[in-house]
Amino acid sequence: MLSSIIKKELIQLNVSADNWEDAIRKSTHPLVAHGKVTEEYVNKIIEIAQNTGPYIVITKHVALPHAPSEFGVKETAIGITTLKIPVNFGNKENDPVKYLFCLSAKDSTGHLEAMSQLVSLLGKKDFFELLDNSGSPNEIIKYIVNLDQ
Amino acid sequence: MMHKALVACRAGVGSSLMLKIKINEVVKEHQLPLQVEHASLDGVAGFDGDLLITLVDVAEELKGKGIKQHIIGITNIVDKQEIYEKLTAFLNK
Repeated sequence: MLSSIIKKELIQLNVSADNWEDAIRKSTHPLVAHGKVTEEYVNKIIEIAQNTGPYIVITKHVALPHAPSEFGVKETAIGITTLKIPVNFGNKENDPVKYLFCLSAKDSTGHLEAMSQLVSLLGKKDFFELLDNSGSPNEIIKYIVNLDQ
Repeated sequence: MMHKALVACRAGVGSSLMLKIKINEVVKEHQLPLQVEHASLDGVAGFDGDLLITLVDVAEELKGKGIKQHIIGITNIVDKQEIYEKLTAFLNK
């Protein structure tokens, strides 16, 4: 379930970022701080993006920063970061990015159910309205917990 | 004829998994003859099916690599219409 891997302390709203790299780094802060991933993981995401382009921008205004499990994933988790001012990632169709869902996955299937919920969440307008208008990670968590019912 | 597709992304744990979930929804809704697996790009070499599906920037990169499968690049992974159109274009070929 998404509600078991997205926690209040992994949500940060209205963050300022200078550029895409800064946005990715900031989106990983809560995951590093709470022992979900190591610094190596953060550097790997940036490295892949530098070498191969903005593969993590998956739909309009949404990036999913992540890297393979072997580069420093300790626990499966998803953090949510919204940017005060959206930044361009170099993805023509989906720029600028305002919402970052930073993912760490221990393996390729253990989080299947959560990812399935995340996909459906990304199709919900009211969820993005909530992200835009809410100043409170608690409200976001409440919304996500309600998905399980 | 049943086709076999591999959904691949660079890590094999994020975008490809989400894309696979979405593709399976489309396949089910329209009862398309497509069986779908997912992997990281390392899985591409050993894949024996006839279709590769990935995000559009990865697709561009793969196209230059002489891969034998047909390659579909998806721009927006939550856009079922885009997925449906690109899958049917392949299936009707």
